[in-house]
Amino acid sequence: MQYPDNGGYMIAAYVVAAVVVLVYAVSLFVRLRKVAR
Amino acid sequence: MRDALRAAWTIAGKDLAIEWRTKTALVSSLTFAVLVLAVLYFARDPTAVGAVDIAPGALWVTFTFAAMIGLNRAFLLERENRAMDGIMLAPVSPQAVFFGKLAANLVFVGTVELVSLPLFILFYDVPIVRGLPALVGITAMATLAFVAVGTLLSSMVVRTRFAELMLPLLLLPFLVPPVVGAVQATARILADRPLSEVEGWLKLLAAFDIVFVTLSTFLFEATLEE
Amino acid sequence: MTREKAETLARRGTLLTSVALVALAAVYLRALMFTPVERFQGPAQKIFYVHAPAAWSGLLAFAVTGLLSVLYLWLRDRKVDLVAAASAEVGLAFSVIMLTTGPLWGKPVWGTWWTWDARLTSTLFIFLLFVGYQVLRGAILDPETRARYSSVIGILGLVLVPFIHMTVYLFRTLHPDPVVMKPGSPALPGDMLVTLLTSFGVFTLLYLGFLAQRYALGVLRDLKEEEASRAVS
Repeated sequence: MQYPDNGGYMIAAYVVAAVVVLVYAVSLFVRLRKVAR
Repeated sequence: MRDALRAAWTIAGKDLAIEWRTKTALVSSLTFAVLVLAVLYFARDPTAVGAVDIAPGALWVTFTFAAMIGLNRAFLLERENRAMDGIMLAPVSPQAVFFGKLAANLVFVGTVELVSLPLFILFYDVPIVRGLPALVGITAMATLAFVAVGTLLSSMVVRTRFAELMLPLLLLPFLVPPVVGAVQATARILADRPLSEVEGWLKLLAAFDIVFVTLSTFLFEATLEE
Repeated sequence: MTREKAETLARRGTLLTSVALVALAAVYLRALMFTPVERFQGPAQKIFYVHAPAAWSGLLAFAVTGLLSVLYLWLRDRKVDLVAAASAEVGLAFSVIMLTTGPLWGKPVWGTWWTWDARLTSTLFIFLLFVGYQVLRGAILDPETRARYSSVIGILGLVLVPFIHMTVYLFRTLHPDPVVMKPGSPALPGDMLVTLLTSFGVFTLLYLGFLAQRYALGVLRDLKEEEASRAVS
């Protein structure tokens, strides 16, 4: 290996960030739907 | 100006007189101080950690918690009697009211500190004589810092539902610069370092005091019912 | 604000957020597949392309809330408070990303999950201030009081953060120098720089989209409450 084997951390971080962004986006979408009714 | 000072004095006197009648908060603070000092002393490996190493931290945890108990007591009194409504009927400026409350809280916390300090010197066998004036100065500056912000936050939090939970939660970030500064400066003074090493921390404490006491005084008005 | 305007804002905000999400997916693809791996730090270095922009968005949100808090106490306009509150909630989301990706980057690259250095400590307390702001708002029922009290915390928090930074800086610092923000040529080679700057842009768009949506939500909720209380009386 020419570079350290720490890809696991990278995957974890990218997944966590994506999850937070998506959960928040969905929560906004759902709350907007609820108030529009 | 004189009216404002007199008003502040009266308010401070009222708060302190009420506390003095029951003395409950004072006694709990002092008991807590002894408890913290004792636990932290024993909560270490004596062969690895010298008493003088954890001494600054122990001292400041004690002082900080005394402040929290004092602030708590102050607003519980307000809450029970809705005294603030009465105060605001009088022709008093909000700044004067703030200074009065701040003064009362400072006297309370100062008393606890004054009693805890000899206990601290005794329990931790701390070589304090030469550094005492500097230590008192640092204690005064740091205490002013978090009591000022704490007084402001208490006046907001008293009207909310989870007041006892909210005050520590909101106050915590504001404790960081003064307490870290105080602990660092205290550590250097106890280690008999030259005052030049403490200079940076002193400047930080002074700047924090000036900025936050001023800010709190002006923001206090926004916390009063209109 | 009328209901129509608020609903239009909500729609526009949702559109902006959707575009930003697609762009985020593109940035992910570029960062993970098409940006070279840094030789000494390894793949974990790529976390930087997500962590730094999220931190930027969080900091931006914090500044917006703080400045709008000052504006609110001056103008006493409810809309200003609603934008400040929207920014605070969005900022909280970005702070969570910041605080989770930070240690995940720190451990492989610097050997430790956490260090109490100036930058990390400041971001931790920004997070705690955001949490405190939300808790405070949740505990106050009257909208005018809520707006006033939130503004007090917003202003106090804004002034506090530089002090926290200074405090820890005086103590010590381990965080790497900002590779992009150096004057003159940045230290990141071409491909990596493009990825990073694109990511900054996308995260800013995401902040703006979320902000518009959350603000619209606040306005719509307000309107609904007004309608409800009018119906009762």
